Amino acid sequence: MSEFSAFRHITIGQYLPVGSFVHGLDPRAKIVMFTLLVATVAFANSYTASVLLLLALLGIVYLAHTPLRYALQGLRPALPWITFFAVLQLLFYRDQYGSEVCSVIWRGGFVTVTTCSLRQIGLMALRLLEFMILISLFTLTSTTTQLTHGLERLLHPLERFSFPAHELSLVFAIALRFAPTLAGELERIMKAQASRGADFGEQGRLRFIQRTRNMLPLMVPLFLSALRRAEDLTLAMEARGYTGGRGRTSFIQLRPVPSDYLALALVTIFCAAVALYNFRAIDGLVATAVGGYIKDVASLIVR
Amino acid sequence: MKPTLRVEDLHHTYLAGTPFEAVSLQGVDMEVAEGEIVSIIGPTGSGKSTLIQHFNALIRPQAGRVIVLGQDLGDADLDVKWLRRHVGMIFQSPEQQLFEQYVGDDIAFGPRNFGLDRQEVRRRVQKAMHTVGLDFEGFKDRLTFTLSGGEMRKVAMAGVLALEPSILVLDEPTCGLDPVTSNDLLCRILELRNNHGTTIVLVSHDMESVVRVSDRIYVIVDGRTVLEGTPREVFPEAELLRSHGLEAPQITQVMCGLRNQGLDVPVDLLSVREAEEEICRCFGFAETQVE
Repeated sequence: MSEFSAFRHITIGQYLPVGSFVHGLDPRAKIVMFTLLVATVAFANSYTASVLLLLALLGIVYLAHTPLRYALQGLRPALPWITFFAVLQLLFYRDQYGSEVCSVIWRGGFVTVTTCSLRQIGLMALRLLEFMILISLFTLTSTTTQLTHGLERLLHPLERFSFPAHELSLVFAIALRFAPTLAGELERIMKAQASRGADFGEQGRLRFIQRTRNMLPLMVPLFLSALRRAEDLTLAMEARGYTGGRGRTSFIQLRPVPSDYLALALVTIFCAAVALYNFRAIDGLVATAVGGYIKDVASLIVR
Repeated sequence: MKPTLRVEDLHHTYLAGTPFEAVSLQGVDMEVAEGEIVSIIGPTGSGKSTLIQHFNALIRPQAGRVIVLGQDLGDADLDVKWLRRHVGMIFQSPEQQLFEQYVGDDIAFGPRNFGLDRQEVRRRVQKAMHTVGLDFEGFKDRLTFTLSGGEMRKVAMAGVLALEPSILVLDEPTCGLDPVTSNDLLCRILELRNNHGTTIVLVSHDMESVVRVSDRIYVIVDGRTVLEGTPREVFPEAELLRSHGLEAPQITQVMCGLRNQGLDVPVDLLSVREAEEEICRCFGFAETQVE
């Protein structure tokens, strides 16, 4: 396996034309649902809520006919960082919520592990997993054209307040469209510099202790390439008559259908329920039940 | 004599196991002897770039063998750094990989990566710049990005030549160059081989360059070797080449055209000079002083 093709495996920004219910949804609905789900995942503060969200996301993955392992491939390069932060959290978490009762599980030296810190780590891991699935799902089921149009239509009403909706969605679209191109460019540059003896480590994973100077042979040519492309793109757009978004019509017309509203309604209700209902109580119940069950099984084995 | 570079039944698939899977090489065989200049030609997407990236272990063989300078490149314990010091690779449009502020520093990047001392680095930079035709004193302190495109390409090439590799691989070296600069480059490639015994592997679409410098040619189509031999053996196969979207050099086309008109001339000629001789002989003319 090539050391350098790690970048091509990035699933963010790739569209998988499988064709499913999720693929066919109106992009505006998808953007709103995505935002709601991201917010809910970010603020979920109990195991039960997190697990419910995970199950919901897995359900959507199933609906989208997307192979799960493909969506999770982006997680692999981030794993060392996740473990690093998890360990940091474990060692240095201070119980901040005074109303919370945290029972100490283990104490050794200056390190204290409580149920609260353990929960923080568990939730963090679940949260990261859910973010990964959500982002991959979002980009795997929508083309950049759909997303641009969806975003622009959603933000259009704000143009009354001099908000640059068109320009912003254009920037977004160009960034998404060129991400794989620049990744390919980076691969090319890495190969060229490696051929001259430069060291970049394995699997594209950069060593933790690395001087900034080592990055220059990659960053300078990449920046220059990006700037060159930007210049060429500007000329190309102007040569085809682009003069800004004012009065610009579109080939793609977005028309919502009932299934879009239905999906949106379901997701909104689900997110509201998960966000507002206090699942901590259920957490406690589940914990006691599981704890009791484990004690029973253990005593059976011991006997 | 043992070949310095050997490829046996090489296969390669990009992104295997994903929906974006693409087979690039389907069993390529190749052999290059020390000091030879071998060209690889083929239509776009035939796997030429994939093939040459195996030679300095940028890509490892998925199936089949690649043996370079006595090292099996499928070996997990391969000293990759050692290999890259002896197999120099110049990519297409190499001027895009320049990053140092000063020309001299960029050329020195390669030798410095291999831990050579300052004296040696300086000597190599000087020699490399001389090989590509850049004046050492005049260019070594120039700002890299103020040079012209052609000069930047020379700097990039010098950067690889400073490693003094025994095998040099070039991907489309004359791409985007005017005829004079292109000609100059080909002369320098020949010089490298004649004066230093460097083995050269060339990938090119420019048949005129290929016919000028190659000892042997490999035609790669759809990831397979379809034709192999000296230029005199390969280029007359006009029908085969055309069926794969390739064309023979202009001189071959001219001779084929003449033969089709009934003239009894050989088609395996490589230069205007040879063509002139043959045509004159055919018609019984005295030779003129065509340069």
